[in-house]
Amino acid sequence: MVQGPMEPSLRSQANTTEATIEVNVNVANFSTFERKKRTRTEKRIVELKATLEKTFEQSVMCNLYPRTVIQVDIHVLAQDGGLLAGMTNAMTLALIDAGIAMYDYVSSVSAGLHDQTPLLDLNSLEENDMSAITIGVVGKSEKLALLMLEDKMPLDQLESVLAIAIAGSHRIQDLMDTELRRQGNIRASKMTQS
Amino acid sequence: MILSPAERSYLYDSLIQKPTIRPDSRAEHQMRPLEAKTSFLPGSNGSARIRLMDGSECIVSVKAKVVVAAKEANLIECDVDVVGFRDNSNFVSNLKFNLTNLLQQNFPSDYLRLTSKYSFKLFIDCIVISHSSYPLTLISLTSYLALKTTKLPLLVSETNDEEIAELPTFSDDWDNAKPIADYFKGKGKEFQPPIFITLGYVGSNLIFDPSVEEEQVLENGLIVTFYNNKVITPIANMNLAVNSNNSNFKGLNQTAIIKSIQMGNKFGGAIIRALDALIEQDDDNDAIF
Repeated sequence: MVQGPMEPSLRSQANTTEATIEVNVNVANFSTFERKKRTRTEKRIVELKATLEKTFEQSVMCNLYPRTVIQVDIHVLAQDGGLLAGMTNAMTLALIDAGIAMYDYVSSVSAGLHDQTPLLDLNSLEENDMSAITIGVVGKSEKLALLMLEDKMPLDQLESVLAIAIAGSHRIQDLMDTELRRQGNIRASKMTQS
Repeated sequence: MILSPAERSYLYDSLIQKPTIRPDSRAEHQMRPLEAKTSFLPGSNGSARIRLMDGSECIVSVKAKVVVAAKEANLIECDVDVVGFRDNSNFVSNLKFNLTNLLQQNFPSDYLRLTSKYSFKLFIDCIVISHSSYPLTLISLTSYLALKTTKLPLLVSETNDEEIAELPTFSDDWDNAKPIADYFKGKGKEFQPPIFITLGYVGSNLIFDPSVEEEQVLENGLIVTFYNNKVITPIANMNLAVNSNNSNFKGLNQTAIIKSIQMGNKFGGAIIRALDALIEQDDDNDAIF
């Protein structure tokens, strides 16, 4: 859920030149197979939140909304791998839906390396077993807005993994674009009818 | 403060009329329109989402786990999470206590017993994504839907394990899973989880499900519990306008409590019937969007 751009609750939070993006990540207790209580201050969640904030500070045209806060609440209801990728894509779509100006899509996907074979979009079993990176690509370029590696990956293999991940992200961007246009057309037709 | 003194006075005067005049032209016993979806979470035994027309939204998931019954104090555990409030804040603790207390006291958890040793334990997690009025009714209606649509896997091992100590085994086929209601039918009982109804009291009128504007001018708020086609305890009163100094707030006349029980008995059944109809009409389309 995106709220804003709005007046910040504390004046000290306001940045006179650009908007502040504030992300709240809420991973539900029941999202994984085994129910587990999570707190908002868990290290991993704090890191995800900071990663998302940094990524989108670059992709949103923050200079258009000075002295405001854009607050994004993310609820993870079910997860089976690709947590960060899913959150990034959802946040891109939500920001676009909220009509906030962005330079381009940020599309994200995870990729792993099994022996010599790069694999795209791992589920949680695969994620536990092999090293995985999550990348976020800006638009159709090969620019990375986000790169997250939680374990190790051999440097000589990194390029092939990145290649498959970038290709995957471009595909996801196409899918997001089609869906957005479809939803947009539905709304436009509703407006003309009424 | 969401209303100016003039607006408060106008709203208060219209609410104390006989019959009451509500700003959205609802009748005194009418709830706000809502939209619901059930069984959409793939990893939960039961789930439901309710959205109200003012943008309030609540998601409830029910997850079951096999536990050793003797080691558990309660076979039901509830958790409430409200966006924008700390988990240990008064507001959230109150909601959580109300819901936990209600279900632990009025849910016949004997029916969750699998064998003499093992039992199901239900974890009910509620997330209130956004709310404007006091969200207790919203949470309890959503948990009603979630519990009603909860499916538990079919037990294939023996129910009597006094001699042989074995873990219960279940059918691998999820299509064989049975809703909780079926466990009750075998024992000749209808399964109907309890719900909360919030009522506002203003100038000897009682109004169902007050909206956020109405909450600001209420003289008192009542929370009534409805279970098995009648009003039961706990019946509580509270100031529904949280974080706002409600200047109209005053003590509760005892006739209001009697009237609230009468109204609850009269209209509570209709709410339950509406929710049941909603479950039946819900299509099997898994998407929640």
